Amino acid sequence: MSNIAGLLSDSFLQQGALWALRNIPGFPPIIQTVHILGIAVVMGSIVLLDLRVLGLAVPSQKIGEMTTRVMPWLWWALASNFVSGAFFLFARPNRYFNNPIFGWKVSFLIPAVLLALFFHIMSRNQANYWELNTPRIWTARCIALVSLGLWIMVAMAGRWIAYSEYIYFPA
Amino acid sequence: MLNNFLTSPKWIDIENWPISWEIGGTWLFPFLESIHVIAATLVVGSILWVDLRLLGIAATRYSITTLNRELVPWAWGAFIVASITGFGMFITRAAAHVVNPAFQWKVFLLVLAGLNMTYFHYRIYRHVEKWDDVVATSTQLKITGSLSLVLWAGVMLAGRWVGHIV
Repeated sequence: MSNIAGLLSDSFLQQGALWALRNIPGFPPIIQTVHILGIAVVMGSIVLLDLRVLGLAVPSQKIGEMTTRVMPWLWWALASNFVSGAFFLFARPNRYFNNPIFGWKVSFLIPAVLLALFFHIMSRNQANYWELNTPRIWTARCIALVSLGLWIMVAMAGRWIAYSEYIYFPA
Repeated sequence: MLNNFLTSPKWIDIENWPISWEIGGTWLFPFLESIHVIAATLVVGSILWVDLRLLGIAATRYSITTLNRELVPWAWGAFIVASITGFGMFITRAAAHVVNPAFQWKVFLLVLAGLNMTYFHYRIYRHVEKWDDVVATSTQLKITGSLSLVLWAGVMLAGRWVGHIV
């Protein structure tokens, strides 16, 4: 991880990100808000879907239909968050790649994305895939529970990166 | 008068509540802030579907009353959590927050979002049976939906900006 930070340091990516963050008025809070709005779409798509599969929310929506409808929103939100997040990552690579909380965030994010991808692909191939029989329903519920926990932890870890900085990189 | 209110020493008293010191000086502050972010994004994430439906952009196969019935309680529940966690953070720097322009904007935009929602629920919604299933929604519905989207995005921007000023 530190190697990536080393590669990014003084690269044109870092120069560009630092330029934007320092010279465009209000750029840091604006780009952070774009990032948070992306998280809102994550909540409105995969998190609501997980709650639906667990029988806790939006009972009138069909799981298969809801999955294929909300998942594109999730993928676009994640793409957007990758870009908005990259500004901060490129600007101060050491802050992230040497920060264990950022490592946690990525370790929660990767399985969360893979589970969502798996859930989406199966639903797309067969609309009622996750409701076909009892084992499928229970598999879907287990996936939803794990997915829900992972996305909450991604958001939590994301917020704690800035706080852990004081612990790991005292001024 | 407003100036007297905003610079009143009472705000400092709030900062000196034992609970304010407890939150401000421990892991409680980042913990409350993480919960605040999750709750706030859940508010916007659930209201988003109602707004996009009002604009005729998403979830058009569902009636507006169905989405309203199933999503608005989530938005309210999350809003209550966001308010409690927000209050917990507010009291640690109350005197600084009330004079912080970003915080003032946030409160102002929240009030506007609330007024828009009240107008929708008590005026427009009374005639819901006429346009419940319509996909090509009326201009009135499109305006209230767009206003809600813009105002909530503004609340988030102002909220995020609070931390850059204090």
